[in-house]
Parts: sequence; C-alpha cells; structure tokens
Amino acid sequence: MRIVIAGAGAVGTHLAKMLSAENENVVLLDESEEKLGKMETSFDLQTIVGDPTKISALNNAGVSGADLFVAVTPDESRNITACILAHYLGAAKTIARIDNYEYLLPKHKEYFSSLGVDSLIYPEQLAAEEIATSIKYSWVRQLLEFGNSALVMVGVKVRENASIINTPFKDLPHDIPYHIVAIQRGDETIIPRGNDCIIPNDIVCFMTTHENIPYIRQICGKEQFSEVKSIIIMGGSRIAVRTTKLIPDDIDVKIIESDLNRCHKLLELVDDEVMVINGDARDPELLRSEGIANTDVFIALSDNSETNILACLAAKRAGVCRAVSEIENIDYISMAEKMDIGSVINKKKLAASTIFQMMLKTDVSSVKCLTFIQAVVAEFPVHENDLITRKPVKSLGLPDGANIGGLIRNGVGVHVTGNTMIEPGDHVIFFCLERVLKKLEKYFR
Amino acid sequence: MFHPKVIFRILGMLLFIEAAFLLGGVAVSLYYGEATLKPLLYSLGIIVLAGLSLVTFFKGGERSISRKDGYVVVTLCWVVFSLFGTLPYMLTGSIPTFTDAFFETMSGFSTTGATILQDIEALPKSILFWRMMTHWVGGLGIVFFTVAVFPMFGLNDVNLFSAESVGPIRSKLHPRISVTARWILTIYIALTIACTVSLRIAGMGWFDAVCHSMSTIATGGFSTKQASIAAFDSPAIEYVLTFFMFVSGVNLSLLYLAIFKVRPMALLRDTEFKTYLMVAAAFSVIIGVALVFTSDLGVEGSLRASLFQVVSLQTTTGFATVNYAVWMPLLWLLLCALMFIGACSGSTSGAMKCARISILYKVMWNEFKRIVHPNAVIPVRMTGRIIPSSVQSAILAYTVIYIFMLVAGLFVNMAFGVDFLDAFSLSVASVGNVGPALGNYGPMDSFAPLPAVVKWFSAFQMLVGRLEFFAVLLLLTPVFWKRR
Repeated sequence: MRIVIAGAGAVGTHLAKMLSAENENVVLLDESEEKLGKMETSFDLQTIVGDPTKISALNNAGVSGADLFVAVTPDESRNITACILAHYLGAAKTIARIDNYEYLLPKHKEYFSSLGVDSLIYPEQLAAEEIATSIKYSWVRQLLEFGNSALVMVGVKVRENASIINTPFKDLPHDIPYHIVAIQRGDETIIPRGNDCIIPNDIVCFMTTHENIPYIRQICGKEQFSEVKSIIIMGGSRIAVRTTKLIPDDIDVKIIESDLNRCHKLLELVDDEVMVINGDARDPELLRSEGIANTDVFIALSDNSETNILACLAAKRAGVCRAVSEIENIDYISMAEKMDIGSVINKKKLAASTIFQMMLKTDVSSVKCLTFIQAVVAEFPVHENDLITRKPVKSLGLPDGANIGGLIRNGVGVHVTGNTMIEPGDHVIFFCLERVLKKLEKYFR
Repeated sequence: MFHPKVIFRILGMLLFIEAAFLLGGVAVSLYYGEATLKPLLYSLGIIVLAGLSLVTFFKGGERSISRKDGYVVVTLCWVVFSLFGTLPYMLTGSIPTFTDAFFETMSGFSTTGATILQDIEALPKSILFWRMMTHWVGGLGIVFFTVAVFPMFGLNDVNLFSAESVGPIRSKLHPRISVTARWILTIYIALTIACTVSLRIAGMGWFDAVCHSMSTIATGGFSTKQASIAAFDSPAIEYVLTFFMFVSGVNLSLLYLAIFKVRPMALLRDTEFKTYLMVAAAFSVIIGVALVFTSDLGVEGSLRASLFQVVSLQTTTGFATVNYAVWMPLLWLLLCALMFIGACSGSTSGAMKCARISILYKVMWNEFKRIVHPNAVIPVRMTGRIIPSSVQSAILAYTVIYIFMLVAGLFVNMAFGVDFLDAFSLSVASVGNVGPALGNYGPMDSFAPLPAVVKWFSAFQMLVGRLEFFAVLLLLTPVFWKRR
C-alpha cells in the first residue's frame, strides 16, 4: 500500500514510523528539511521536501498512485487544501486533520467528501472524549464503547484486593457476564488461555455490557470515588479547551497556563465558568493556593510529556485521587504506567486508530487504539457469505494475537464462545495486536 | 487637522434640515389656523438664510472631514441647532427671554425634558409640537437623522457618524452606515406610530397622542400638560406609556433584530438587556412595596405608580404620574440611583447606561476574585464577548468624568443659592438627560425660578451628557487644538 503523509509533526512522524514498520510504502512530505531530519536514514521510508499545498510537490511525492493520503500539518486549512489537491491528482483516499468541531458534524460530511476529503481526524477532540470518560469512571484506565454502547471494553489495573486474582480462567464460573480479551503484564501482552490467571498489577481488558460495569468494578476490588466536583487542568492546550466543553457544567474547572498571551486567548475559547490561572502548575505553592487538596482530578496536558508525568506525580502526592496525563512520547507510556500516575492520553495513538480504519480494504465501523497496550479494538460489520459466517468460532483458525471480544446482534451485546456461529448482520468486536489487524480482513470477504 | 470650510459648510447644510423639521410646526400651525404662522415662517426664513449663507460662503475646500473635524461638527451642530431652535419660541413670544428659550431647546434636543414653562396648556399647539419635534430629532441624534433621512447630502462620513454615536460597545447592523441608520430609523418610526395608535386607543386625543409618543420614543419627557401624565389620570395611558418607555430604553439595534429579523433570543441573551430588566424589576418592586405602606394609593395604584416612575426615570424620560418629590426621602435616593444608571446603550436614553454599570460591577467583582486567586486571569464578559482592558479603562474614565460633571453641577448650583437637595438632584437629572429633579424642581414644577447661570450650566450638562462627554470636552482640551 502506498501512503503519503503530509506534515512531519508529532502525529505525522509517528504514523510514518508505525506504517513503515508494517511494511507499507510510506512517503513523508514536509516543507521543512529540518523536521524530516533523520527520518529517511533511521526508518524504511522516503522523505520529500515540499509544500503539501503545491501541486508540484504532491506530484513529486507520487500522490497520483497513492492508496492513502494523510494531511496532518498543524494548520487545518492547509490540510483540507492538500487533501482536495491530492484527491484531484488521483489519491484513492484522503484524510485531513482538523481543529474545528463544526467540521465534524455529520451534516457536513457529504460536502467534505464531495470536495475530496474522505475522512477528518480531530485528535484533540478524541483525546478530550477519552478524558471525559475517564473522569466519569475514575477507577478505569480506559473505557471504549462499541455499537452505540451495546458493548464496552474496560481496562482496569487490578491490585491485591481484587477477588478475581490468582484464579485460573478455566475455574471461573461459566455464566460470568464478561470476557477477558487481554492482559498487560509489565511489557508483555497476554491473550489469555484457560490456564492463565490474573496476578496483582495486571491491566486487564474486560469486554462486557454497560449494566455490568459496576460488577466489574466490584470484582476488581475498586471503590467508586465520590462524584467529581473540581478539576485542575495544567496547560491550556487545544485538548484542554475541548475537554472543558465535554465535561458536565456542574464541575468546577481551573486551567493553569504559564503563557499569559495564551491565557487571554483561552478566555475567548472557554466558557465563563472556567477559571484561567496564569502560572506554572509544577509550583507546589500555586497548586496549594488554588486548592489542590480539594481537587478531585488533575489533568496534565502541557506540550511536554516529562512535565506532565512529574506534575501528575506531584498532584497525587498532594492528595488528588485521580490523575490523567497526556504523554506524547510513546516510550514513556509503559514507564508512566509503572509509576501509577493514572490514565494516559496519547494524541498520536488516537490519530493512528483512524488511519488503521482507512487502511483496511473492508469496511469497518470503528477502530480504537489502546493507550497502554500496542493493540486495537475493531468493530467489523458482517455481511452475507463472509468467511467468518461459515464455521463456528473455534474452527475459524483466527490468527495469533487476535481474539473475538463479543458481538452485537440486533443492537444487543452477546458473549461469544467457541461454538458461536456468527451471522450476517452481526457486528463483531475484535481485539487484536496492531500488526494483526490487517490479517483479519480476509474473514470479511 | 481642521478644515473650517468643510465644518461650516456642513453646519449650513444641517441648518436646512432643522428648517425641514420646523416645517412640521408650520404645518400644525396651518392646520389649527393659529396666529403663530407668521413668526414660524420668519424663523424658518432666518434659518434657511443662515444655512444658505454658510453654504455659499464656505464653498470649495476639502471634501472629506477628518476625525477631529467630526468632533467639532457634532458639538457645534448641537449648539447651533439649539441656538436657532430658540427662534420659534422667541418670535412667537411663547418664551420671551433668550436664556429660557435656549434652556428649553437644549432640554428638547438632548431629550432631557426639563422645562421652564409655567403654563404649558396656554401655549399654541404649533409651539408644543415644535418642542416635541426637538425631542424626536434629538433622540436619535442630529447627524444620525441626517444620515438616515437625507443620504443625498453625502454626510454619511464615518468620522462624523462615530463622533456622535456613542456607547461602550459598538455594533453595526449592516456594512454601510447609511443602511444601518435607515434600519434604526425604521424601528424608531415604527415605535412612534405604534405608541401613537396605542395612546389614541387608551383614550388620548390625536394631538396629545402624537406629541406624547414623540416624547416617549425619544425618552424625552416634555408633555403637553403642566402636570405631565398625571393630568390624564388614566391607568390605561400609564400602562401604555410604561411599556413604550421601557421599549425605547432597549438598544435599538437589538430591537431591530428582535422584531424585524424575528430573533427575540438575541435580546434575552444580551447581558446589558438582562441588567436593564433586572434593575427595572428590582427597583419597581422595592419602591412599590414601600409605597403600599407609606402612601394612600392602594396596592394596584402603588405598584403602577412605582413601575411608571421607575421606568420613566431609568429610561431618563422624566414623565410623572405622581409627585415623587413628596415620597419618603429614602425613595428619593433610589430614584437618584435610577437616574444615574440609565437604560441600554444604543437606545435614546441617557445617563451611565446599563452596559457600563454592568461592566463596572464585573470589574469591581473581579478585584475581589483576584485577591483569592492572585494568579487568575479573569475576563469581563458581556454577552459572551470579552471586554478588552482598553475598553474597561475607557469606561472607568467615563465614570470619573461623569462623577466630576455631577460634582461640578452641584458646586455651581449651590454657589448660586440652590438648596443641596435641589442642587444635587438637578445635577443628576441634567447630566443624565432625565429632566425633572427632586425637591422644589420635581416633576410637577417649573425650572423657571432657577438663576440664569444655573440654567446655562444645566444646559451645558445636558449637552455633554447627551454626547457622552468626550466629544464635547475634547474641544476644551489643549491637546485637541495643537497643530499636530
């Protein structure tokens, strides 16, 4: 597959590395030679210096034969322009990164496709949605919803007090209302078999239905913290602004931003109830005077991953029971995990999930990336005569690293056992490692 | 830089417009067959002649006007209009002295509504109509009227327009000034007609209905009766007037959007309108309850009297249905507060305006917040828009000048032998373009007994209050007259 990525920023380079590791033909286009830097020598991809909104540069990058064109420069107008041009020059599919909520509204979708922009990604919006969910379920590391919430995937870090630890899966009762799709133990991802069991400090991914979420909380030995009343956000980034729009109005929000000009800009973007404070959120004195001790959630969204990790640690020490941090440096995620700083948000992974979705030849309802595991959860609609409908699940010979989490039949979540026959019209939720995703395509033909 | 030729030429042209408005008085005189016809025609002739000579004498020169010219033209045109506006009064002998006549015209054009007349009913109808005409023109502003009604004069110059149109936050309805002005004029005329018809239905005669609606929509305050609205003794008329006074106190641009573009929500979202509504409601209730217990008006009568007086004084109209000068003294203070607050910016009313009061309140409140959160960056928002600190400090400066002007008035009034209560309320009422004051110069009284100096200074206060200080006072600063 030939993929052209315009914009060698954080998201662009991450996508390029990830896709080249999957043996795709990646061309990275950016006008700054400096940004492209060592990309070509360190990774198996091609870099081209040029303005993504110039036809000549796009031709140089070979857009005419590209299967996918991804525009992820910081400027949304340029991204849209680049996609329009790429579509005109013959790119099969185009994706533009945007920074405007209005563009995402379904009523405009058709217009954007008519322009030649097939898909829009708004990583900041996705990140804000994740933050809003993680505030609602404070004991959950990550919560993903599928098929209009018919099925949910819950990632929980279990401790010694959980009732399900040290019990082999084959000894669990048969009528349990959940399905464990994966376990992350240290740096190792385990697709569980009968003899495996959960040990403390594992992150366990449960696939279940909405009404059983309290049950999962119970078996994991987690207590529900009192309702979130106040939040401090460090860093007035675009994610911070989107987050303030998504969380309920009765929550008291403070944004601490160190740049005064940005503070003034923020005031124009957020609602009146949000208080903007000019200062350094790493300063314990400032945090104390802004009442960190009475704050329920601390969200670190500055541009710097290290700062975010440290700030979250400091906030936890100051008595905040819940912290969320944006960590853009993917190598740090597992490290941050070991330090127990709470949920992790990663813009690149969120952007990558959309790209995965667009790369699949079959249609797929949604692909969602897990932050703490190199894995994705994908929802596939099943059609008449698809390979997957011909045999019961246990005889399908699913590839290693893939696992059916459940299926949605007539809008209701159903648990899948080895003998289940998948029927046309169902939606199947697959849990799989990132590199395995493409292998699943053949089951839906 | 100044361009005297342009300034005087424009003043000349504006005089034609005053003459055009005077034609209304002439028409009334003809209709009722009054003896005032001849003096009115003389006045008309003098005004036209003066205009003609200015226009012909200052031919040529620059075509466009600078920003400085704009301020000079606007201030001068209000003075010149008031000077020539005295002619009908003096030539008909209705008001024999020049001081009184100038006070009355300035009070008219600035929509103040204070009168030196002692027997209004005895005046010819054409003169009464001319008084109302000064209100109606002054309500929107002389330059504004010209831009809207006579676009062929080519006066739709931005510099001229912005020197007269004041207010803390400006909003245009249309990219072109002349179109915006015409739209505002449309709503102004529509309101006047609606008010006239409503008053007629409520039981007023046609002449009184027309006169009072012109006075109401301009939030002026002249009445055709010495006892103001109390003379009609009709609850229906009082309710109709209360409603139209209140509506006239709303930002006309917003009103245009709400009525003609059917966007009533624009009104309810507006912070200033909400403040206006809340102030009016709160004061009406407090004063109403106080009146129930301290007066013999009865419950309905008390509330009606309270509502009418509150709306009348807040919109700086100055009509009265009862003599509030005899109310308990605590209520006077509340009435003075209303005269100070005023209605919405962009309306025909005077005084501080609710937008400024609301911003001042928020600025003050933010200071408290800043003590608790020393690092917080706290905005002042109006209808979701952030008010930049430059505008905030402009409003603070405005408030200081306002208070300075009040104190100056108090000083002058007392220096010439007016009692403290009279002097203070007179100053508040003049700067705020309200009209009637308290004490001996209440709503049922005439301003005739005031010393001449006090009359002149009050007239000056009316002018600066109407043009919101800066345009007029700028001309008194040395900086303005420096060559560079």
